[in-house]
Amino acid sequence: MLAPLLLYLLGFTLIPIASATILAFTDAGSGSFPSLASFAEILSHFQFREAVFNTLFITLVGLTLELMLGLGLALLLLERFRGRGLFRALMLLPLGIPTIVVASNMRYLFDTNGFLNEALYRLGVVRLPVDWLGGGLHTLFSLVVADMWKVTPLVMLILLAGLESVPREVLEAAQIDGASYGKRLCFILLPLLKPFITMALIIRGIDAFRIFELPLALTGRTVRVMATYSFFEYREYGNPYTSAAAAALLMAMILIAVAAYLRVVRHGEAVL
Amino acid sequence: MRKFAFALLLLFAVIFILTPVYLMVKISLSPPPEILREHPALGMEGVTFSHWQRILAAGQVWAPLRKSLTVAALSVVFSLLLGIPGAYALARLPFKWSSAILLFIFLSRMIPEVEIALPVSIGFIRAGLLDTDLGLTLAHTLRILPIVTWILVGSFRAIPRDLEDAAFVDGCGKVRSLLTIMVPLALPGIAVAAIFGFLGSWDEFTYAVYLAITEQTLPLVVYYYLNRASFFLASAYATIITIPVVIVTYCLQKYLKAEYLAGAVKG
Repeated sequence: MLAPLLLYLLGFTLIPIASATILAFTDAGSGSFPSLASFAEILSHFQFREAVFNTLFITLVGLTLELMLGLGLALLLLERFRGRGLFRALMLLPLGIPTIVVASNMRYLFDTNGFLNEALYRLGVVRLPVDWLGGGLHTLFSLVVADMWKVTPLVMLILLAGLESVPREVLEAAQIDGASYGKRLCFILLPLLKPFITMALIIRGIDAFRIFELPLALTGRTVRVMATYSFFEYREYGNPYTSAAAAALLMAMILIAVAAYLRVVRHGEAVL
Repeated sequence: MRKFAFALLLLFAVIFILTPVYLMVKISLSPPPEILREHPALGMEGVTFSHWQRILAAGQVWAPLRKSLTVAALSVVFSLLLGIPGAYALARLPFKWSSAILLFIFLSRMIPEVEIALPVSIGFIRAGLLDTDLGLTLAHTLRILPIVTWILVGSFRAIPRDLEDAAFVDGCGKVRSLLTIMVPLALPGIAVAAIFGFLGSWDEFTYAVYLAITEQTLPLVVYYYLNRASFFLASAYATIITIPVVIVTYCLQKYLKAEYLAGAVKG
């Protein structure tokens, strides 16, 4: 009874991967196989090298910030206060909002005539509007913020599950012995949270590498990541070969990153 | 003082989360001059329903809505047909084995969608499946199968084995036991899986952008309006898609568990 399920999953992943790999190693001009021509071509595009940098930047900076913010929110939710249920429901709101809608909302926020510029102007921070989505590091930060808005609740949920699994008596005992909040956090909560942090990092890390809708809708061709680069190569320039080559490199990066991370973590806790 | 700082943190978090949603609703209801000037108003000054009316009049609602609903419903049916027997078999395997297979299913998410969507869209052109409901359904089924299976295995595992063993003693076969004992008992879990699967298809964008060209789904229409910089129409449209999803997600809050969402939320 398991066979149809596994066959469907394997068939719809292995066959496409195989044919994408064949495409990637086929020469677009002569059709000869195997050939590295497509890889050589995309690596010579500065847009592709930029896309690789952007993908890595969004992944590294995004993960760091999401983890910090997610941990902060989870710690807030660990306290007992009035309106906690409402607060939790509000924090989970982004999970129910389609990513393309998030992109649409962020467009108004980051537009040159948008509300972020207006808010900053009224606070006296800027005199002239900033072109948030026009390129450069601040555009990458805008993408990170947009992604963070959507996914931090997920990180928060994972970490909250971890925090709630820590017995309260342990924390109370430490408090009675005079351990400050910071000490309890660093020496009790964080070490026990390790497997949950690993899970959050892997789940979110994979998604961050594959980020697609937000850069596509927010920055289009101005600022590309690897997934949107692959998309534009196929859809705008009609070149499935270079598109497949970019996708193959993206997958290789994800596999290497996950494998390397698991190797580093293996020494401590069980994973997942 | 501590209490005040705590409240301040809560307030910041709430503002961070609510601002984009507030902007979406505000813009979908604002008269254009209020937004398209050098210093747009932060509050709501006027209210107009003209953007909503324009969207309804443009006939851009019913066709995409039909497509989104059809594809989401079919994907749920497909993934339940594959997922229920599969999850039942997994739940009966030794825990170690089934967990390993579940992990493997989950890891299929490591593959970038563009890597799958590209050859699939080329293959669909040859097979005549491009731009059809069936083609997109097949892709969406792939996307939602892991989470559907994950939830189903959980609910099958929760059913006491004795119930089934009693049926086996009475001469009931595996298939009959699944249909007459397990499925009715796991119905709440199946419903949750179906709803999460539905949302996963309803929100999906990447496969849709590769596989639905002339007949668009709802998320593609938002992208279409965004590309033309029609803020008002895009936001009105975004609000339309979002309202049902937010309501459903809110009702399912207690099922929002980390392990479920890992597969459902982002893709």
